[in-house]
Formats: sequence, structure tokens, C-alpha cells
Amino acid sequence: MTNKKKSNKEIEGAEYGVDSRYSSKKERQVDGKALMEARLRKMQNVSEDQIIKAKLLQLKLNMEEYIKKPVYKDHNFFTEFLTIYIDTIYSRRNNFAKDINITPVRLSQVLNNHRDPKEEFMLRLMIHSEKTYKNVCQFHKKTWYQVYFHEKICDTMSSQDEWRPSVEKHVSISKLIKA
Amino acid sequence: MIVIDTATGKIHEVEIEPVETGDYQSLTKRRYFFNWMDEKDKEVYKLKIIGTSGIIGLVSIERIPKEWRIHIRLLTVSKENKGNDKKYENIAGNLITFVSKIAVREYAELACVSLKPKGVLAQHYIDKFGMNITGKTLSVEISEILNLINTYDHD
Repeated sequence: MTNKKKSNKEIEGAEYGVDSRYSSKKERQVDGKALMEARLRKMQNVSEDQIIKAKLLQLKLNMEEYIKKPVYKDHNFFTEFLTIYIDTIYSRRNNFAKDINITPVRLSQVLNNHRDPKEEFMLRLMIHSEKTYKNVCQFHKKTWYQVYFHEKICDTMSSQDEWRPSVEKHVSISKLIKA
Repeated sequence: MIVIDTATGKIHEVEIEPVETGDYQSLTKRRYFFNWMDEKDKEVYKLKIIGTSGIIGLVSIERIPKEWRIHIRLLTVSKENKGNDKKYENIAGNLITFVSKIAVREYAELACVSLKPKGVLAQHYIDKFGMNITGKTLSVEISEILNLINTYDHD
């Protein structure tokens, strides 16, 4: 077989698989070091725009991961994601408030979990994100809503011990369906 | 993410999930080219068409947080998806993009995915996935990752 023929055959099946396991720790270290040096050189040319895109992509992926599974943890995910979103794009949060036409006080109340976001806030956030992500990656309109309600559901389910005794008193079944 | 049936052009949505212990029995070298049992204690993912049970792609990775990097240890498509007569297009691209998404989740703008193919395969990966070459290591960084995600990720 000629070299050319051999080469064509291998390229044809190129995607069938790659075995790129390192044969030794030393190989891994040497390759890692060389790669890091090359990357650090390249990183000097990464634009501010690309950094913002990367952070927005990271945020989107984290939100999508969050809504995939129940998280029973006393943590304000919605406001955490929202804070990251705003701080990634704006140097001053007031400018975001201005862009979605709400008062800085109202934004602060939402970010600090003193007030739930109103419907109009959610709708404006949805449109704002749609426009922001347009040149970054796909972003589902429903994502913020999903995060918000996912957190509500998880919180409600995980805090039943607290709310159930007082709520259950108000619920009676006059027509119980037989088993 | 999607794969395309090369015969009909039909598009199928795919899902990528962690390989479960029970899967390894079916991951034969004959169908998946490598001894996947060797990867049992590693982070391994399988690609399937949604609604089907057949695994058509596999990838094993190693996270290297100190270098903000994820190294692809092994990557393969199933036997019927090898070469010019492959049944579905996009399997390797989807797997590399999936790993890239994990890298972005972990390291944002510092994200890097690397692999070290042997022989002439490197040029194929450079041409097809826009990979950079350093010595014998191929890699994608944030700029290429954004391109990959916009090409392969329709989620």
C-alpha cells in the first residue's frame, strides 16, 4: 500500500475514533505545559466581547443545568443568575434598570430578595435576554421563567414541614373518592 | 443536538448522558473499536437518538482544573457510523461540542478542550472542527468553542 492510499483510508474513517490517552504522567505534564504556554499567548488576543460571550454562555448552561433536576437547597438561584447576568453586561446595575425601564430601587429589591419580580419585570427580562443572546448562542425565551418557577417548586416541596401543618388545617375533603 | 441520516437526510434529535455501569457489557470492542471497560472509572458519556436505546457515540474525558482544560481520552462512533458509508452524520461533532459545553460551564472564557490524535487524523480534526495545534496536541479554546456550539448545539 502506498503512503497516499494509506493516508486516504485513515482520513475516510477519521471520525470513528480517537485514542488520545496519555501514556505517562510525564507526557501529560509536558503536553499540558506546552499547551498552556500557547494558550496564554493566545489569551492576550481574546477580546472583551469574547469574554462577555463566554460568561453569558456559561450562565445559560448553568441555568439549563439547574432546571434539569430538583435542587433542594436554601439558595436564591434566580437572583444569583440574574445578578451574574447584569454584572456580566453592565458596569453599573442602574443602567440595566434604566434599560428595562424600572427603578433602581425596584431592581435592588429583586436582587436582594426583598420582593418577588413582577410579571412586567419577567417579560422585560425575557426580551432583554433575547436581544442580548442573539449574537451569542441560542437562548430559550422561557429560561428565566423556568429558573424562577423551578426554584419556587423546589422551595415549596422542601419546606413542607414548615407550611403543611398550618395549611392542612384549611383543607377538608367532603367527597372522598374510595380506593 | 441533532444527527442527520445520510441516506434520507432525516434529522434526529440526540441526547448525551453518562454511561451507566450496566451499559459496559454492550460496549464491545467490535462495535465501539476500543476496550471501554478500561474507562469504567472515568467520566464517560454516551450519545443516543432520543427515543432509541442504541448507543451511537461515546466519549471519555478527564477534567484538568489546574489548566482550565478538559482532555478527551477516547472518542468513538459505533461501527455502522464509520467511514463514507456511515449511517448518521455529526456524531463526533456533537460529542466534542458536548465536552466543550462542560468546559465552558467550568471555566468560562478560559475553557479549553484538548485531544491528541495519532497520525494523519490531526489534520481532519483541524479542518473539520477548527482545532488549534500545539506540538501533537489539538485544542479548541473559547473562540472555536463558540463556533462549535453555534454549529452543533441547537438546544
